Parts: sequence; structure tokens; C-alpha cells
Amino acid sequence: MERFVFFGGKGGVGKTTVSSAYAHKCATAGLETLLVSTDPAHSTADVFDQHFADDPTPVEGYDSLSVMEIDPDVAVDEHLMEIKRALGDQVSPSIVNEIDRQIELAHQTPGAHEAALFDRFIEVMRSADDYDRVVFDTSPTGGTLRLLSLPEYLEGWIDRLLQKRESSVDLYEKAAIGGREPRRSQVGDPIIARLQQRKENFEFAGRTLRNEAAFFLVLNPDELSLRETKRAIESYAEKNLPVNGLVMNRLTPEPDPEEDGRGARYLRDRVETESTRVRTVREEFDPPLVAAIETRIAEVKGDLLADVADELDVSV
Amino acid sequence: MDLEARIAAFREWVEEWARGLYHGMISHPAYELVEKEAEDQEDAFLLACFPDAFGIPSPVSYYTAELLPYLAEEFDQWERRMWDRESMLERKGQQYHF
Repeated sequence: MERFVFFGGKGGVGKTTVSSAYAHKCATAGLETLLVSTDPAHSTADVFDQHFADDPTPVEGYDSLSVMEIDPDVAVDEHLMEIKRALGDQVSPSIVNEIDRQIELAHQTPGAHEAALFDRFIEVMRSADDYDRVVFDTSPTGGTLRLLSLPEYLEGWIDRLLQKRESSVDLYEKAAIGGREPRRSQVGDPIIARLQQRKENFEFAGRTLRNEAAFFLVLNPDELSLRETKRAIESYAEKNLPVNGLVMNRLTPEPDPEEDGRGARYLRDRVETESTRVRTVREEFDPPLVAAIETRIAEVKGDLLADVADELDVSV
Repeated sequence: MDLEARIAAFREWVEEWARGLYHGMISHPAYELVEKEAEDQEDAFLLACFPDAFGIPSPVSYYTAELLPYLAEEFDQWERRMWDRESMLERKGQQYHF
């Protein structure tokens, strides 16, 4: 199994439950496991009844399970502070104010949050050497897809910036005729260094996602969920990230055969429609259905987590 | 003053003028031309980095913002150049000495 495992899917289908159950399964199998929640509305804390922070916190009652909840706001603020510090070191105070506004602005664009989240993603993947398995509980489909498509997209953009910068610096060097000092020089240009470092970072992310990551989609047995999953599989394929498996969650339990009340009839009908949906998924969808999990009466936590984990037919 | 000294002085004067002429007619315009082109390239780079300065949202402004500390001076010059530039023709025209 790949080292990085992503669980995605439509909102409210139980991604957190499934990814927590998988993390539980890995941890109890003896793997050093890290569960990372990237959904801004974190709910891993509710599953394990414990408060988690922005860095890995060991879960009580487990030997080898840690959880972290990524908070992009913290990352955005840190980024902002870091730039301001560099600005203070580099630039005369008269310009600082002018530039300050520009920087503040850049940190309020809608992309900033995403970029910060993405940076943290890469950081987690880079510093995951201590863990045998990193499980990502991602935000609903759209957001995650955009996030995962960022490396390719940004790589191209940074590449263009880099080329432009290089050609302008090159011209400045050429303009320095007769042993004059060029206005800028290729060697030690902080901009080129910075851009190259960014580019390298994106390439790492792209490479890791393609080679060392597995993707699972969680869905519910209803028409909307099925359709969205179908679209998601296609978009993942477009990004060259094949989906490894599907997890069907929230299946209605079947009543005992001798029961024949109104509730039992309702359940039986429900099971009927749901089983056709499960069949559709098995027959028409390309990634295999790796688990069909029944609805639990109580919130999935504690011992129930182990139950759900047992139903997951995903190799550890 | 003897002849030798006057010839030497004259040669110095000629050399200075020749250097000046060469600088004024050949090397300076050439240098200026290349530097202006470099500035143009830099403008394009800065525009790609900070289109938000003109109200165009940039997908990577979060990342390019971290270049600002190193670009502050250039950013300032760039903004000034963008104000000065009235037309493409004018800017390109500056590069030639008709």
C-alpha cells in the first residue's frame, strides 16, 4: 500500500469516519500512523474525543496513532509575518509602508487560504519520514480536487515567471558593456533562487501524488452521491490521479425476516433500492468497491471505530 | 611649449574626443537599448507577478508576495515606469535616437 492515503468525496458522506477507521486499522496493525484532517471544519476531534492541534498529537489509547488538524489561517499568518520580517531586513523604511499594503492584499485573496493549505500539505508529506502511513481526511470533492491539481498548474506558472526573470537579468548583464557593473546579475539573485525553490516544491508534490499516493472516494447509496462520485472519478483521471477504490457508507441495515411492521417494511424497501445502487457501483464504476458500511445507530467512535475498520477491505 | 608637448596634448585631446564620440554614438545607445529592453522584460515579469496592482487577480499572488522584499526598489521603479508610459510607440521610440 502507498504511504499516503487520501479519502475524498462529497460533503457529509462520512469521510472522517472512514478515514479515522482506516487510520485505526493501520495503527492497530502496528504501523506508525498519522491522520491529517485538511477540512477547515475539523471533526476528527469528535471521533477520538480529544482535542487536536496544528501539529501531530498522539491519540490516547493508541501506541502508534497521531492526529493533526491543519489550520490554514495559522499558515497564512506565519507566511505574512515571515515576509514582513524579510521586508524589514531588506528595504528602506520609506518603501516598507507602500509594499506592506501589497502584501496584506495578497494574503486576503481567495487563493491565499488554498495556497497555505497546499504548502502545509507539502510540508506534511516532506516531513513524514517518521510515519509508515499518512492518512488524509480531505475537504469535500471540489476543494480537494483543486488542491491536488495545483502542483501542475503552479509549476507552469512559476516556470513562466522564472523564464521572464532570467531573460531580463540576462539582458541586464549584456547591457553592462565594457566591464561595467550590471544592475542585476544571475548569480545570487534572490528572486531566481526563491522561484526555483518554489518550483522544486511543486515538482515534489506532483511526483509524490502521482507515485506514492492512493485515493479513495467515499459515497452514500443515493443518486446524487453516485453522480458526483462518477464525475470525481473522471476529474481525478484527468489529473492523472487514478482512484484506487470506493467506499460505500451509510447503508441501511436489513430487518430480520420475521419482522413485518411499518418500520421493517420501510427498511426492506430502502435496502432494495440501495442494493441496486450498490450493484450499479459494482458494475458500472471502474474503481472497485472496497467496503460497504452499514449505518450505525450511534456516532462512530471508540469501539464502533474498530467495527467499521473491520468492514474496510483496504489493505494496510 | 615645444612641439613634442603640443603634439602630445593634441593627441590626448583627440583621444578624449574619440572616446566621447564612440561612447555617445555607439556604446551608450547600445547600452541604453539593451538596458531598456531589459527593463521591458522586467516590466513583463513584474506584471506577471503582481497583476493585482492593476486589479487583475493573480493565482499565485500568495507566492509572489514573498518576492516583494527583494523587489521593493524595482517595484517602485516599475510603478513609476508604468505611469510614465503613455503609449507603446513612445516607449519604443525612446530607445532610438533619430
